[in-house]
Amino acid sequence: MTAVSCDGENTVTVPKELSGQPLADALMDQWKRDHPEANWVTEQKEKHALIPPADNSDLLKGGQGKDHTYGNYTELDILTWARETEKFAAEGSRIFHSADALGSTIAVSCDMCHPHAANTHPETYPKFQPQLGRVALLRDMIDWCIENPVRGEHLDPNGPTMRALEAYIMAQRKGVAMNYGKH
Amino acid sequence: MDCTRFFRSGPWLAAVCFALLGGALSGTGVAGEPAAEVPQDELGAATVAYQAELLAKLIPEAEAVKATSAFDPVVFAAYVPEDNALTPERVELGRKLYFDKRLSADGTVSCATCHDVTRGFTDQLPGSLGIGKQVGKRNAPAVLNAALLQTMFWDGRSPSLDHQAKQPILNPIEMGMSNPEEAMKAIAGDAEYQEAFKKAYGREMNYEDLGRAIGAFERTLVFLDSPFRRFMAGDASALSAGAQAGWELFNGKARCAACHPMNPANPLGSDHRFHNIGVAARHQDFEGLAKKALVALAEDSSEQNLDELAIGTDLGELGRFMVTRKRMDIGAFRTPLILNIGITAPYMHDGSLATLWDVIDHYNKGGEANLYLDGGIEPLALTEKETNHEKHIAPILRRRLVGRHDLSSVGRLDRRVCRASRAASANGLGSRREPPVARPC
Repeated sequence: MTAVSCDGENTVTVPKELSGQPLADALMDQWKRDHPEANWVTEQKEKHALIPPADNSDLLKGGQGKDHTYGNYTELDILTWARETEKFAAEGSRIFHSADALGSTIAVSCDMCHPHAANTHPETYPKFQPQLGRVALLRDMIDWCIENPVRGEHLDPNGPTMRALEAYIMAQRKGVAMNYGKH
Repeated sequence: MDCTRFFRSGPWLAAVCFALLGGALSGTGVAGEPAAEVPQDELGAATVAYQAELLAKLIPEAEAVKATSAFDPVVFAAYVPEDNALTPERVELGRKLYFDKRLSADGTVSCATCHDVTRGFTDQLPGSLGIGKQVGKRNAPAVLNAALLQTMFWDGRSPSLDHQAKQPILNPIEMGMSNPEEAMKAIAGDAEYQEAFKKAYGREMNYEDLGRAIGAFERTLVFLDSPFRRFMAGDASALSAGAQAGWELFNGKARCAACHPMNPANPLGSDHRFHNIGVAARHQDFEGLAKKALVALAEDSSEQNLDELAIGTDLGELGRFMVTRKRMDIGAFRTPLILNIGITAPYMHDGSLATLWDVIDHYNKGGEANLYLDGGIEPLALTEKETNHEKHIAPILRRRLVGRHDLSSVGRLDRRVCRASRAASANGLGSRREPPVARPC
């Protein structure tokens, strides 16, 4: 069976009994292959000046010794790590800058008060947070912000959205020494 | 209670191997459909014309050079060598060369003989058949997704697809050409090739470009879409409950993920490292072989000699040691891919494990003890229920690839492999409570 997407251009041949999500996935894959420039990660990096992850290339120089099975890292390994890490932070950036992705009911996104994640000082956590009346981790404060200024729904602390936001905020603070408890 | 019913019927670990790992490419068609008659040549591979036709259906020419959306484009670009950017002309040239039997000394073997499109891009034999029906000592790795491997060959002696493609042509057991000049002479007279090489690389045909073209073609053989991938993306219904239980074991008690991590960043399930897991180790005198190998390699340290020793002699059992000459690499082979293993039986470097059940059994007992056994290998104490697969091999093997390609026709399981699997089960190896059911593999 040949399915055609609604732009009339992309077609895909699939087994007859296929329908629903897998079929949509197939068409989406097709579209993505046809539009490799739709690279949201690059977009995020450029629009929001994402700070890149640390450089691990000195790991190439030895570990436990060249050709050793354990502790032997290749360029492709460190490229994969860097790429996945920056994608995770870029996903956080995407959510950080999008009122809709945050679930805001009043069209407020984090960057309106924290451009480029300024003034989030993740290195000061854990600390006593007056708004919460208890010692908080970064994600507790993110949740407070989501519920109060952003007027969205409480985020699952272990869910992908919270993890991505944390990742972005921490990424933008690269290089600053940890200093828990500092107000 | 319902939960006990689940445990009793659970297909668990082996099922997950078949399910999510063999999920990208399925075996033969749905039960009841006869497998289509596949024309074969004298070495048991499907004819070149049939394979080429099948491949053309799977990957329409216009789409060949488009990067897959299932893999990170930046990392994929890092796998493409600087001197061999992917262009349609190079892919087309590589395709022609891949299927060309003139590159073998007696005109019977092409790349497609041992890396047969209809047999999971391998040949589903323990050792491959070369010219004059000679049998090699190594199991042919699948070309499928090989573009995403960091090194080629079981011992990683080749750094890239471009380099690897040049070796079997010159190996006396495989394609048997004496030297690159002879290989080029076999196709030099073909005007089509002359033009194709000029269009692809802008220069006279030469052996290096031949390797590059084949490498470029192989880089298009990336099939990552599968029920497993959808499951990882969040679709909980993409895998059966039994397969999901097996996935838990894969990452947990069965310790597979230690060397076969499967995640969106590494969809293939190989850590690209070399491990001695004690396959057929009880037959080997590693010390004796290592001494002989050091002498042989000292006499002739060319890559040609290394290639011949690896494929044609017992020294091949030393694996990575032949490349690095380090004791810790004795008997170590590169972790193979897990994606699509349902159709690349038999398993391991010598093809000595016929079915995935045998593979799991091998790991369950802690491999075979030898001095150089990898520290990560230990007996797993998996229960019968956890390794049982009887109810779920067939449906999962028949699971179709969903996505751009309908690959249900690729990798029909060789009848021999199916028979071996049923025989193993029927011999009481595993908790079979019913007789084998007569159904196509």
